[in-house]
Amino acid sequence: MLREYLQFVLEVIGSVLAGFSVAALIMSLMGFDPLKGLYLITLGGLSDPDYLLSRSSLIMMTGLAFSVPALASAFNIGGEGQMYVGGLVALAVSLYSPNPLLPLASGALAGGLVGLVIGALRAYREVNEVITAIMMNWTFYYLSIYLITTYLYNPLAPYRSVSVPEGSRLSTIDLSGVKLHVSFLVSIALALVAYFLVYHTKLGYEIRVSGLSRRSAVYAGINPRRTFTLSMALGGVFGGFSGALNVIGFTYYMDQLLTSMYGMGFDGIGVALMGRNNPIGIILSSIFFSMLLLGGQRMQVSMNVPKELTDALSGVIIISLAMPYAYRMLISYLRVRKVGRGAE
Amino acid sequence: MEAVSFEEVRKVYPDGTYALKGVSFSVEQGEIHGLLGENGAGKTTLMRILYGEIKPTGGRIKVFGREARFSGPWDAIKAGIGMVYQKFSLVEGFTVMENIVLSSTRIGMDERAVRKRLDYLIEATGLKVPLDQEVSNLPVGMRQRVEILKALVREAKVLILDEPTSVLTPLEVRDLFKVLRRLRDDGLTIIFITHKLKEVREITDRVTVLRRGRVVGTHRTEEVSDVELARMMVGREVLFQLSRKKVSPGRPVLKVKDLWVEGDDGVWAVKGASLTVREGEIVGIAGVQGNGQKELVEAIVGIRKAQRGQVIIGGEELTGRATREVYDRGLAYIPDLRPVGLVMEMNLVENVVLTRIKEFSSGPVIEWGRAREEADKIVKSFNVLVDSLNTPVGRLSGGNQQKFMLGREISRNPSLVIASEPTHGLDVAATEYVRKKILELRDSGKAILLVSTDLDEVFQLSDRIAVMYEGKIIAEGPSESFSLERIGLLMGGVRA
Ligand SMILES: Nc1ncnc2c1ncn2[C@@H]1O[C@H](COP(=O)(O)OP(=O)(O)OP(=O)(O)O)[C@@H](O)[C@H]1O
Ligand SMILES: [Mg+2]
Repeated sequence: MLREYLQFVLEVIGSVLAGFSVAALIMSLMGFDPLKGLYLITLGGLSDPDYLLSRSSLIMMTGLAFSVPALASAFNIGGEGQMYVGGLVALAVSLYSPNPLLPLASGALAGGLVGLVIGALRAYREVNEVITAIMMNWTFYYLSIYLITTYLYNPLAPYRSVSVPEGSRLSTIDLSGVKLHVSFLVSIALALVAYFLVYHTKLGYEIRVSGLSRRSAVYAGINPRRTFTLSMALGGVFGGFSGALNVIGFTYYMDQLLTSMYGMGFDGIGVALMGRNNPIGIILSSIFFSMLLLGGQRMQVSMNVPKELTDALSGVIIISLAMPYAYRMLISYLRVRKVGRGAE
Repeated sequence: MEAVSFEEVRKVYPDGTYALKGVSFSVEQGEIHGLLGENGAGKTTLMRILYGEIKPTGGRIKVFGREARFSGPWDAIKAGIGMVYQKFSLVEGFTVMENIVLSSTRIGMDERAVRKRLDYLIEATGLKVPLDQEVSNLPVGMRQRVEILKALVREAKVLILDEPTSVLTPLEVRDLFKVLRRLRDDGLTIIFITHKLKEVREITDRVTVLRRGRVVGTHRTEEVSDVELARMMVGREVLFQLSRKKVSPGRPVLKVKDLWVEGDDGVWAVKGASLTVREGEIVGIAGVQGNGQKELVEAIVGIRKAQRGQVIIGGEELTGRATREVYDRGLAYIPDLRPVGLVMEMNLVENVVLTRIKEFSSGPVIEWGRAREEADKIVKSFNVLVDSLNTPVGRLSGGNQQKFMLGREISRNPSLVIASEPTHGLDVAATEYVRKKILELRDSGKAILLVSTDLDEVFQLSDRIAVMYEGKIIAEGPSESFSLERIGLLMGGVRA
């Protein structure tokens, strides 16, 4: 057992070293100081911890949106669309709500509904969930833009929607000197709930069994179609919650091109893989992921590095951290699919 | 000449399991060399090392006198080693020909040469296979032949067979043995792993016994008795006879009435089967694999839909009910495939919960603490060899997996047990143990439905025997009323 933990730690250290070396190499080839660059991209983000943690909370949720279904061997690439829907619904509900609770909950539910539909189509009608999810991502992207520019537009600033009323906003709280955004606390709590759900409840257990071996699930009297669908619905809840949190907690409106959200659903996949699909791991990886992102921005400013390069650098580091796990997951994913077909 | 010689081969798995502790013996060219040993003795580990799949921690292997340092199976294949796995590695949608061509051109053989060699081999060895059939349509025995041919086309000089007979029908076993003898007479070296002493006697020239990662001895087969072999394997005497108490059966627990079940291909697999199992009674279903036993059992358990007929358990009609409900009524089912009955990636504690989730949860929450205690109890009372309850079940040797699965189901205290091939892949000691447990269950008044392709097992355990052929139960009666010959004929569809 100890050997295995050691192996895991070695794997992470190896990945970090590999990622950093490649990043350093790229920087020196491009004529930038690699040491300063590495310093900034990893630790630069720490200069504004409140912002760092706030950002982490959003991709922590999209990370869970990917990883809960992944445990049932469902591939939820629809976190992006679920997030848009969540944001949109939260915004609309907030206009009629006296507190932030209702909009957050309805955003999450709306995301969950989307996930449920994608999952059910796959489980009961053999429609590939990846394709449905990608189509839905675009559908909701344009639907959001349409609604923001028509029904929800702000007459004073036409490029964006109306704002969330003061009463429904989440903001920063002061914990004896330490400023923390409520969103971050809520997200950590939700990640812990996800952990409990996955590892300590019947549903979580059934989801994991179905993901590992469909035939064993059937033998145990678990309905794999049901668990597949529910895992996608749960993923959708987290995706939707991320969008709702974004609107209710940070931007307080949605802009015409969804710039404040765009891509965070996909970032969640990287976060989930880096965190080994484990909710606790995802708490850590989402913070690390945000550190790279913010560090990259610091680098752009103080070293005059183009954004494309800093993105590429964080990409290299993230991929090297996610790769070993992504590979194993792909293998078992393919195996389960095959077995699944055999059992039908 | 020595085809393969192992010199002080050692293996420590990454998790610290010391699987081989210095194994030395040699295999002569042109012999069939049996490899025998308890579950977990290290047979498969040793063969995986020879095939280049895993690396030894220490020691040397020589193949035809040359030291072998394989960095993967491809190196081993080039050195003339061929392996037939228990789980075949064939592409389902391809024809036999395509499979063979694929596997040999991948290591750089010319396609024309492959075809020519194949024709020659089929002629010379008698390994007849339908070359243009898709693999998915072939029965298991045929697939195994394809695997053997695959190895031979790649010019294997040493062929490894890991428990090749456990998936075969008695008839297929006979054919396989014929082929193996012929191949040996042509100079092929064969390493043959099995748990069945009968097979060791029948097919091997020499036999090596492993115990806990060490060689106990290598002998000419005709110079050792079964009792000696068993003692070498287990380190103690093994009873080949089980004592059976006389128990008079009580009330009926399972009643199946005129059950019709479709198979995966939509064709009737069970055609109107009826049977009754009573308290304190073992009913054994004998039959060649694929005659509807699997579908019958799955329909009783509720995994498969029955199109017609009734399943009554404990007086309550349960036809078409969900599997969970059937389990709740006191049925325990031991499936014939361990990867079905266990989730290999999960640890022992998690696997306890698989069929017993209701027992180990309160509301929606699983109580892992209690599940851990139960896992510990099962491990202790069923002698499961494992270091820690946190070990993924897939790491246990086959026999220990079987003991654990059996233990989980028996500890549920069921009133009806359905056991499919309960001693599949078990060594003699574990087989003895499992059979004893099943008899104990019967003595304590449980109803047991046993499905087995092993006739010895059916005879040893059953109070009543039902023979299944092409979806029908074509004969049923007390076991004394059958002779081995008669059952053999019935299994082949000859009514006697
Ligand atoms: N991948 C693995 N990782 C760790 N331990 C392993 C692994 N594979 C096998 N073992 C352990 O090594 C030992 C030898 O196992 P092996 O599979 O070689 O036994 P075997 O003789 O083939 O048994 P069986 O008759 O049950 O097939 C066992 O204790 C087993 O638990
Ligand atoms: Mg083995």
